[in-house]
Amino acid sequence: MKSLTALDQLIESLRCLPGVGPKSAQRMAYHLLQRDRNGAQHLAMSLQNALSRIHHCLKCNNFSESEVCDLCASGKRDAHQLCVVEMPTDLLMLEQTQTYHGMYFVLMGRLSPLDGVGPKEIHLDRLLKRAQDGEVQEVILATNYTVEGEATAHYVGELLKARGLKVSRIARGLPMGGEIEHVDIGTLAQAMMERRSLR
Amino acid sequence: MAVIRQDNKPVYVLHTYPFRETSLVVELFTREFGRISALAKGARRPRAAMRGMLQSFQPLIATWSGKAELKNLHGVEWRGGLHVLHGQALICGFYLNELMLRLLPREDAHEALFEHYEEALRALARDEEQSIVLRRFETRLLQELGYALPLDHEAESATPIEPEQWYCFVLERGPVRLEAGESGVQLLGKTLLDMGLDDYSDPQTQLQSKQLMRALVSHYLGDKPLHTRQLLIDLQQL
Ligand SMILES: [Zn+2]
Repeated sequence: MKSLTALDQLIESLRCLPGVGPKSAQRMAYHLLQRDRNGAQHLAMSLQNALSRIHHCLKCNNFSESEVCDLCASGKRDAHQLCVVEMPTDLLMLEQTQTYHGMYFVLMGRLSPLDGVGPKEIHLDRLLKRAQDGEVQEVILATNYTVEGEATAHYVGELLKARGLKVSRIARGLPMGGEIEHVDIGTLAQAMMERRSLR
Repeated sequence: MAVIRQDNKPVYVLHTYPFRETSLVVELFTREFGRISALAKGARRPRAAMRGMLQSFQPLIATWSGKAELKNLHGVEWRGGLHVLHGQALICGFYLNELMLRLLPREDAHEALFEHYEEALRALARDEEQSIVLRRFETRLLQELGYALPLDHEAESATPIEPEQWYCFVLERGPVRLEAGESGVQLLGKTLLDMGLDDYSDPQTQLQSKQLMRALVSHYLGDKPLHTRQLLIDLQQL
């Protein structure tokens, strides 16, 4: 059997990107080789560089170039609160709200029983250790309100409560400026079931 | 010519898989057509109408078309009502879905099973005793799929089951008297009769029906273990 040429190898490698099939991989390869060799060089170096330098933060499990990421190393955050999110993008969103000043733990996924994603895949053992550092008092579960996110929140919550920690779950309900007439029925049904009394 | 478009049919989502950059393949359990797979094009785009709707355990109505195995899903809407499964009940729900995905062949209509499934979700949402909800559903699922599960008479015979008699439940056949020396799950006649009457109040019935259904479900599932069962084991080890 003939071994793969360099071009074949490049096309094959590009196919590891999400949504890239054989056709678009071929187009990308030709583009890089024919029209943008500088860009290709740069891409190759950035990839190599990122792979060798980016790891998971020892404390929050987010991507980081240093052993402990900037957020975890910053002395300005409240070490008593730990917010658990599924993905790094969720952390970024919460940071944008400027309403939370505690620490984070990024699961890099969610429990997904039917896909065989269990506690090991989402680093639950590391989260349990992190939450029991002696400083954390409250753990805020900010996983998605999908069935998988809910299952994750339940089990993480149970495990942490069993270890004496206070656990809360981010609230849900009508969106900002939400008009009942235009909100989806599922959200409205949840909001009705999880109503709260007025203070 | 066969009708290829189905409008506003009652369905439940059993599972979804990401497909390409922005789409989802959805495994649906429909009342009239059994289990079908459908492609929800663009359902993972940030503002897609179906995004957030394709969640398991929620009563939905769906519109789809296509003759091939993979249909095109055009839209889903809430059917009203909501089964809120909390905590362990949620894992029981995943277990029901995994059983259906593993045992139910595609496009094999089972209207009665749809009712049983819906009733199981309602019971889980009402926080009813989970093991009983699961036993009841497993029994109905296997019976609906046509597997031998005689509860009121002996295997290959019309002899009624006697409550005080011990039996051995032989896989693929049914209960035979223990004296016959066959191998299988050993249980009391009362357990089988209780299961037939849907009465799980006796703790012995609960225990023996669990052993029986576990053996039967594993037998029909084959070698590949259930993910949901493994998940519970892994969580207990933490
Ligand atoms: Zn960190």
